[in-house]
Amino acid sequence: MKVQILGTGCPKCRTLEANAKIAISELGLEVEVEKVTDIEAIMAMGVMMTPALAVDGTVKSVGRVLTKDQIIPFIRGGK
Amino acid sequence: MAGCNCGQEKTIIITACSGAANTGLLADQVARKLRAEKVGSMTCLAAIGAELSGYVESARNADRNIIIDGCPVACGAKIFQKLGLKYEEYVMADYEPEKGKTEITQALINDISAHVKADIGSKQACGSALSTTSSI
Repeated sequence: MKVQILGTGCPKCRTLEANAKIAISELGLEVEVEKVTDIEAIMAMGVMMTPALAVDGTVKSVGRVLTKDQIIPFIRGGK
Repeated sequence: MAGCNCGQEKTIIITACSGAANTGLLADQVARKLRAEKVGSMTCLAAIGAELSGYVESARNADRNIIIDGCPVACGAKIFQKLGLKYEEYVMADYEPEKGKTEITQALINDISAHVKADIGSKQACGSALSTTSSI
């Protein structure tokens, strides 16, 4: 599984990344975390606002700093 | 253009039906003019219709989605309805052009763009409800 944090490196992007890592750690899963900072790559995924979070290539959230509890269902495969 | 949400600027996303008829061409050109005038960011309606996740989630989290539909078939609005997304719709055929007949000139594009831009601005100013169909 791969979780992508899409953002150019602003504080909100960093907070989302930190929350995602806590969520992954809590679930005890082997998950690759990738930061996508290239604006062209971000736009190629159709993302118009950052930060955004994608799981296995599917964008789950755009323009929001999700909490750990909001991220966990996405990693578990829920909506 | 993707924007950082740190500054909490209002996000306005513009989509056009860009359909085969002259009114689709007008919708496309009006949307592009609105983008050029920085009314909002333009994105691909086809990508939203195809349910590509980044496009759909961007529309879901935008403050306003402006749909420029060419004719009353309203494909853009129907895509947003199907996905449960809020939107404001402008139908080009509601203005003056007749589907399949009217020549789409630069003057017409400029004129209708100005009307749409003013209407978008007025709703922004008074904070009107967003999930409405706009008409002249």
